[in-house]
Amino acid sequence: MMKEHPPHAKTIEVRQSPGKSFLFALPMMLLTLMMMSGGKIPADPQRLFVFTVTYLFFNLLFFLMIHTGKTDRYRATAFITYAILFIVSFISHMFEARGSMSLSQEKILLCEVPFCHLVIPMTLIPAAFTKTIIFPGTITGGYASIASMFTIWIGASLSLGRGWCSWGCFFGGLDDAFSRILKKPVFRNINPRWTYLPWAVLLAVVLSAAAFLSPTYCTWLCPFKTVTEFEAVTSFKILVQTILFASLFIALVIVLPLLTKRRTQCSLFCPFGAMQGLTNRINAFDVRIDPDRCINCKRCVTACPTLSVTEESVRAGCPLISCMKCGTCMDVCPSGAVAFHVRGTPVAGNRNIKRMLFLYAAFLFLAIFSGGTIQDGLSRIIRLITTGSMI
Amino acid sequence: MKGFFLGLSSGAVCAAYCAPVLVPYLLGEGRSVLQNFLALLQFLLGRLLGYLSFAVFAWGIHTSLPQDIAHRNLLIGAAYVFLSGLLIFYSFFKAGRACPSAGGQEIDHRLRNSRPSLFLLSMGLATGLNFCPPFLLAVATAAEQASLLQSVLFFLTFFLGTSVFLIPAPFLGLLRGFSPLHVIGKMAAGLIGAYYLFIGATMLAGGFYR
Repeated sequence: MMKEHPPHAKTIEVRQSPGKSFLFALPMMLLTLMMMSGGKIPADPQRLFVFTVTYLFFNLLFFLMIHTGKTDRYRATAFITYAILFIVSFISHMFEARGSMSLSQEKILLCEVPFCHLVIPMTLIPAAFTKTIIFPGTITGGYASIASMFTIWIGASLSLGRGWCSWGCFFGGLDDAFSRILKKPVFRNINPRWTYLPWAVLLAVVLSAAAFLSPTYCTWLCPFKTVTEFEAVTSFKILVQTILFASLFIALVIVLPLLTKRRTQCSLFCPFGAMQGLTNRINAFDVRIDPDRCINCKRCVTACPTLSVTEESVRAGCPLISCMKCGTCMDVCPSGAVAFHVRGTPVAGNRNIKRMLFLYAAFLFLAIFSGGTIQDGLSRIIRLITTGSMI
Repeated sequence: MKGFFLGLSSGAVCAAYCAPVLVPYLLGEGRSVLQNFLALLQFLLGRLLGYLSFAVFAWGIHTSLPQDIAHRNLLIGAAYVFLSGLLIFYSFFKAGRACPSAGGQEIDHRLRNSRPSLFLLSMGLATGLNFCPPFLLAVATAAEQASLLQSVLFFLTFFLGTSVFLIPAPFLGLLRGFSPLHVIGKMAAGLIGAYYLFIGATMLAGGFYR
């Protein structure tokens, strides 16, 4: 049964006046200026233009986040932009380095494959037993080395937990984007059993990777190979793999998010995301539902793009372990019951301070991690417009 | 002792080959540690049968089979297809789905009441016929033995050495209170089954898989 709105319960609580919002955003402006420029403002006019656009883009979004009290819509704008420009930048790099998106056996044998965070679960167990990373990439140096990705991942996991999947993952913005196109979902009911599938995929790929000493998820299942790089089709086996990952991309990243308005790849398939859920237990921030404010309207249950808020979890006062801290639930909550929370503090304490603490950690990570890629992607687009080629 | 030490030194690889079959099953069943130990014994018995049958084979043919790639692919391919059939079947029939047709229901009922020991025994047997690197080493060494008895003894001790590494598996029973793991185990069995089916089918088809 739905309760009445409590007198002071509204999202306006976290809204700020323009002046206050500017003051709150000022440290972010300075930090992003320092981190994105590396202490040196570009002298080249085109690079300066791209840098300025990226810098203003991020800081405007952060300002709006504070001013309006809404999290998800501005996060998603940055996150989706990042995913699209990552693809532009990555594909351009591949064409520059190899002349195509396909990966030859030679490049694999020379260990010149860029490492991505999705491989991490498969590499951990064999690395523990054999002291060998089963991935044809470079440990340090080169483009996207294994050590750099591990370092970023450990830092992000400690500070954001599974928030990585909504604030850091350069693929997540794709199904996030497709899940926002339709106003209403075509398919509403998804059997909650499917939320266990990422764990099953994780178990299957970890065990098979350890058995065959091969990154099985990358080789067979990763849908994002469709928009990044893939092995050149030289055998029947690679042909089957190509059909499989391209079909998964179409189904999980385009069609199902479109029809269900959920991030299906991230919440119903990604094994890295499943493992990342465990890190939700070891970082400072989580999402809590205040039972005194909750009016049981179930809007958070309907809106959660990752199926992490259920009726049981609302009763329990916190979302499931799979929560990606995207902020959708708190944006739709009419009573302000859902909020970011710092572990060890009372749920009913000052919500605004907790929100600001989380946003500073998450948004700064997103801005720094994606800043370079976004600038590169924009430069490529400008080059395409002015010269007709992205490389 | 040579066989035992060979098994002991390369058992981690054998455990890695058996884990994709054994771990999803044990998680999916959600039994106690003690029941899991019994299940492991049944699985190991099947694996022993596989090993011993190979001991006879290896002694009889003096390593000609492992060197003949076409025959080797046929045997491993068949073992993979058989194993995938068992895993996919386990994933579906234990998941509580009922076939709508009357005949289907009868089959479903029969399968549900079939002896689980036979199921585990078959999975162990199919895993025992895998040509993992330590197993190939054992085949080569067994083929040099002078008598059939020596060859069998060699494989028996090799089996004992490798089995040590599977002893931790039953302790997955400590997680049985966490019910989602039962579903996850069954789903993972189906996924691994599909993967094995492709490997096996391409091996049987001949030379496509590399």
